Amino acid sequence: MELCYNAEKWVTIFSGGQYVDDAARQCRETMKKVLVIDDNPTIVELIKYAVNLQSNYQVLVAYDGVQGLESVYAERPDCVIIDVKMPRMDGYQLVRCLRGDARTANTPLIILSAMTREEDQMIGLLSGVDEYLTKPFKPSALNAAIERVLRLSPDERRRRMDYLVQTQADRE
Amino acid sequence: MRRLHILLVDGDPNACIRMQQTLGNEFLLQQVLSLAQARRYLAEILPDILICEVTFGTESGLDLCRFVRRSPELAHLPIILLTNLSTIQDKVAGFDAGADDYIVKPFDARHLAARIRLLWRIKRLQQFDSI
Repeated sequence: MELCYNAEKWVTIFSGGQYVDDAARQCRETMKKVLVIDDNPTIVELIKYAVNLQSNYQVLVAYDGVQGLESVYAERPDCVIIDVKMPRMDGYQLVRCLRGDARTANTPLIILSAMTREEDQMIGLLSGVDEYLTKPFKPSALNAAIERVLRLSPDERRRRMDYLVQTQADRE
Repeated sequence: MRRLHILLVDGDPNACIRMQQTLGNEFLLQQVLSLAQARRYLAEILPDILICEVTFGTESGLDLCRFVRRSPELAHLPIILLTNLSTIQDKVAGFDAGADDYIVKPFDARHLAARIRLLWRIKRLQQFDSI
């Protein structure tokens, strides 16, 4: 069963392998897709709960970096939430991989990781992620980050990258 | 901003010319056309970044990646694969071979220049971290 927050109440849109009506189908099709890539099923459930708590997204899940990469190309999500430490391909590699392909270079990306050091966050941002959040996380902070990255334009993303290049060069 | 020294390994001479035109002002670009030439170059000179194509006839740029990662003197060299190969399997194989970044052609020159500088900074942070 799948629920959708509509007109200030939760309604069932998908049950028994089909949509309950045309309005439900339309509701589902207009929902933005958020892909969560994390190898910890418990964390995945927490993220799904958090994301659905305040907003109305269709949440997709992958449990390692390679499966996540496959899902990005197959599902074309509107936003991807990525853990760093994962089997097969880590989160930093995944971010670089997506940014290095014109087809996915402007996909909104958020890292959500237990790695909290400033260096870890810097590597995430230098790899091309739009936002770096740390675990444990507040649902409101995650939802706010999703809203922010969904609003980022390709030009804004490019300006951020140029700024990073400049500020990091100044540190050399 | 320091001019980073880049070794470009690509069997297509035109690709090298295009790279020289687009990145030559910003980086010190050295180009070789084969993996054998690349190995000889790396035995003499350590660049800041290695940019490598994957397809070389019967050979593969991934072999050069593995060679670099196995070599104690070169193991930390940042590697960018810059290639026409764009499937998920290609990308996974590239990272498995030791590449740090994977950029699919055609590429935006400004984007590539930024990626080179950001990768350089990432490797510096990681090296500092491992001391």
